Amino acid sequence: MTIIIIILKFLSIVFGSIIAGFIGSLTGLGGGTVLVPVLTLFYGIPFIFAAGASLISTIATSAGSASAYTKKKIANIRIGIGLEIATTTGAIVGSLTLVTIDRVHLIFIVYILFGLVLLFSLIPTIKKIGAEIPPETKPDWTTKLFQLTGSYYDERLRQTIKYHGIRWWLGEIVMFFAGFVSGLLGIGSGALKVLGMDWAMNLPMKVTTTSSNFMIGITAATGSSIYWYEGYINLFIAAATAIGVLIGAYFGAKVLVRISNENIRWVFFAILSFLGFDMVFKGLHLANFIITFSLMIQFFISIAISITMITLLYIHTKRKEYKNKNGDKK
Amino acid sequence: MKNHDDEVVISYFLKAGVFISLAFLVAGVIIMFAKNGGNGVTLSQISSYRYAYNHHIDSARISLSNIPYGLTTFDGLYFITVGLWVLIFTPITVVFIGWLSFLEDKNYLYVGMASIVLFNLFFAMLVIPRFIT
Repeated sequence: MTIIIIILKFLSIVFGSIIAGFIGSLTGLGGGTVLVPVLTLFYGIPFIFAAGASLISTIATSAGSASAYTKKKIANIRIGIGLEIATTTGAIVGSLTLVTIDRVHLIFIVYILFGLVLLFSLIPTIKKIGAEIPPETKPDWTTKLFQLTGSYYDERLRQTIKYHGIRWWLGEIVMFFAGFVSGLLGIGSGALKVLGMDWAMNLPMKVTTTSSNFMIGITAATGSSIYWYEGYINLFIAAATAIGVLIGAYFGAKVLVRISNENIRWVFFAILSFLGFDMVFKGLHLANFIITFSLMIQFFISIAISITMITLLYIHTKRKEYKNKNGDKK
Repeated sequence: MKNHDDEVVISYFLKAGVFISLAFLVAGVIIMFAKNGGNGVTLSQISSYRYAYNHHIDSARISLSNIPYGLTTFDGLYFITVGLWVLIFTPITVVFIGWLSFLEDKNYLYVGMASIVLFNLFFAMLVIPRFIT
């Protein structure tokens, strides 16, 4: 009898991971960002087990999707490996920070940080910063020294696009933080990696997203091995999430190609902001801080805040689009 | 630059890594359920999060040197262990292939940079565990 319950428990984690992988791949945030809140908030899994299972599952999705991108020769492996110096160093510092925080029993800090990182990583995703092809800039000294050049064939524009990166040092700094966040929170932190290559190094969006995808795996591998020895990986949970997230990401990638309606993405943004707020509240709750509502009330407050926020953002964006359209006509 | 072939090789390595890992994970899960646990832990102990958390039933208990023994005795948890470690090593092979191709191109700056990345990876795997446990 109990074995049936345990099998159902396993399948329910697989199911949750499929959804996390699906949303993560559709929004471009990666599986871990959705998986950690789902595991901690809905399954009652301790944070360190959730982070451990999520980080190791991130490798699976990264490797799975990167194999498709590298074959098309869009991802720039040279630039990626160069930036990995900073992300792997950051991942080591980040995961050791988590170990320290866990040992002094201040894990509530990580919940709050997680919520804030989730909410802030929504901003660039919603705004979709950066055009497909970045504005023309002059190469600087790092362009030549670190060979930050490349080209890829754009299927939609039907031409080969040559590009070059600048400000390698700034990219490395942002990447250190991306690695730190990845090791601290057990996520791939793809949003930060994209920021580093897009905003700091002025690389085209396609190169940025695909290169960051394969870099996530290397960063996560660094953090995962530290997690392993510290005992953050529960094999029962990790096996379920790795299988689930992989399935979810696979279907997410299939659907992503077909989705033409931008509005569907807003629903996912609402879900993500709900998870972000709920993580912050859970952290405050664990800390016995000013806000100590019961978990149920927290849940509804988070839903209310996120729906209001996303609706306002949605109206704001649509109004802007409408204005731009009318402006063009005139 | 002969980087073009490397990208195809990398893509195959990544795909193969994911498939091998998935095979071990699925096999491990089936064995774990069939044998009601493994590595001296029952299924109900490892699957109840609070109990596992309080009694430290986690990856730190599994010694990697026991993997050959665990595999030959069909211990599900060791199959899952192998699956997860194949996953961890999959992206590392990418860096290694990159390192080799930089060496072939005589691009010594990037040979050095890839070496630092590999150093970081093995530092996290071999050196840090000695200090934190």
